[in-house]
Amino acid sequence: MRPRTRKILLIYSVLVFMFFYIPLVVLMAFSFNDSKLGTVWTGFTFEWYVKLFNNSQIIEATVNSLIVAVITTIISTVLGVLGALVLHRYIFPGRKAISFIFYIPVVIPEIVLAVALLSLYGAMNIQLGLLTIVPGHVVFATSFVILVLLARLAGMDNALEEAAKDLGANEWHTFWKVTFPLLFPGILAGALMAFTISLDEFVVAFFTTGPGSNTLPVLVYSMVRRGVSPEINALSTILILLIIFFVSIVGWRMMRADRKGGEV
Amino acid sequence: MSDNMVYLEEVSKKFGENYAVHKINLDIKEGEFLTLLGPSGCGKTTTLRMIAGFEKPDEGNIWIDGKQVEKIEPYNREVNTVFQSYSLFPHMTVAENVAFGLKMKKIPKSEIDEQVHRALDLVQLRAFSDRKPKKLSGGQQQRVAIARAIVNNPRVLLLDEPLGALDLKLRKQMQLELKQLQQELGMTFIYVTHDQEEALTMSDRIVVMNQGQIEQMGLPDEIYERPKTKFVADFIGETNFFEGTVKGGEGSNLYMSIGEQKVSIHNHSNIESGEDIYLSIRPERIHITQEPGNKSQDYLKVKIQDKIYIGSVTKIVASFSDGQKITAHSPYDKTLHLQEGDNLYIYWNPENAVIFPVHEKEKIEA
Repeated sequence: MRPRTRKILLIYSVLVFMFFYIPLVVLMAFSFNDSKLGTVWTGFTFEWYVKLFNNSQIIEATVNSLIVAVITTIISTVLGVLGALVLHRYIFPGRKAISFIFYIPVVIPEIVLAVALLSLYGAMNIQLGLLTIVPGHVVFATSFVILVLLARLAGMDNALEEAAKDLGANEWHTFWKVTFPLLFPGILAGALMAFTISLDEFVVAFFTTGPGSNTLPVLVYSMVRRGVSPEINALSTILILLIIFFVSIVGWRMMRADRKGGEV
Repeated sequence: MSDNMVYLEEVSKKFGENYAVHKINLDIKEGEFLTLLGPSGCGKTTTLRMIAGFEKPDEGNIWIDGKQVEKIEPYNREVNTVFQSYSLFPHMTVAENVAFGLKMKKIPKSEIDEQVHRALDLVQLRAFSDRKPKKLSGGQQQRVAIARAIVNNPRVLLLDEPLGALDLKLRKQMQLELKQLQQELGMTFIYVTHDQEEALTMSDRIVVMNQGQIEQMGLPDEIYERPKTKFVADFIGETNFFEGTVKGGEGSNLYMSIGEQKVSIHNHSNIESGEDIYLSIRPERIHITQEPGNKSQDYLKVKIQDKIYIGSVTKIVASFSDGQKITAHSPYDKTLHLQEGDNLYIYWNPENAVIFPVHEKEKIEA
């Protein structure tokens, strides 16, 4: 590469990264700002973090979100793994069509699903509550889990399962000793996706939750309508740091596994 | 039934509308090194996979060590496979890979360790026990795959083009090692390859397959020297084909014409005068000279078109007056003085030529 090209590329990359991350950095900085308005820097404080942890509404919504996210993750990961295995392994009439159906929730507007679920619950006379959010989230999350796992399966040598059977492993042992460990990084990635999708999903949660059981995004939305509170900044900062922490762990494990020459 | 180690009776396998394997019969003796040889798509791998249990035959029966196995799952068959792509478990160490089969058989841990060590010693990889397969070279991975299979002491070892991914030198070395290993263990090996040289080097017996059927079964020298079909003659080694009509007979010797010259045909084949035939003659069976001797009617006059030095021999490509070409292999020193455009006289012992009727192959449909 010519030196000039290098320089331009470097500047370009820096600009892209600034575009991505400056808002986050500003948000994190203002979570320590000693001013209620949050637009002018007046001094450093932990006040908003203290207030955040004393705000029972936010704590409750966080717990709600975690409950929904954990249940969604478990259901969609199990469904997704089974679905992906079936789609990958068996040739049956309509397989292509069914594969396609799993893509639809990925591209369908959330609002459509939200309204559809709401009218379904209405028709079935189901009382809205925290758990009525779960089916909507499962629909999205399962599709993502299937997509991630199908990619993983496509890269896996089918002969590995044959090798296991050849060496005397029945279907059960083949799955747990060979297929599952090899799929595990995909399952982990799929589960993480399901978890984050559910955790920050707003539209479906907003429409299908019952009175009094807000998830975090729904609560934040109602709080922001009265202006961005520094408490929200503090909450966001915590979430960002948690995500960076988890992503780093996964990334570090993958790199280590790479160096050791094996899979994760 | 028979007392063979593996016996296939009228076995067929269809994929969609096409037969991958069509009504083949095969018996493999205990301790034999048998090679299934053929071009890709000839059904050799499908045959192997039916013996392993990965494919179920649509028709016919398979016996392994006296047991009928068509309905038996791969994990309950006393055979093990060495896969083309090695298929080592990437999440396990070399030792764990080799131990896998024994663990499935619930053999006590101490015994597993001992047998794994012995198998890895056999393939000279003891020092690599704790490595992951991806950290090994292709040849080493291949050895692990072999150790992983033979540690189970199968009745039959199935090998699906196991050396295909190795470079030539390593492949030649592994061929000899595999053959030696097979003799040491006295194990029955069924080996699949499309490499005819590999088949000739290693096998006790070769089965040549084409389009789902067996073309010929026999000892390596039988397959090479006395091919029964044009396909076999063409597929194994290099050869020259000439098409023509048999003439003569009734007291006089049979002959055919190449260009305007007569070639004697050995009388051993069931060939009659008037029949259309192919004559096949191997390049290394052709003698060349620039001065025909007194038996001049047996010499064919050709013109040298090309002289190609290929190391072990020199390849002479020559043409007849009608344009048909012939390739001969001669020792380097005998060809030093030859030049393109020179006249050359060639001769072969009629016994070394193989004759096929022209219409024999059309009966096999795809």
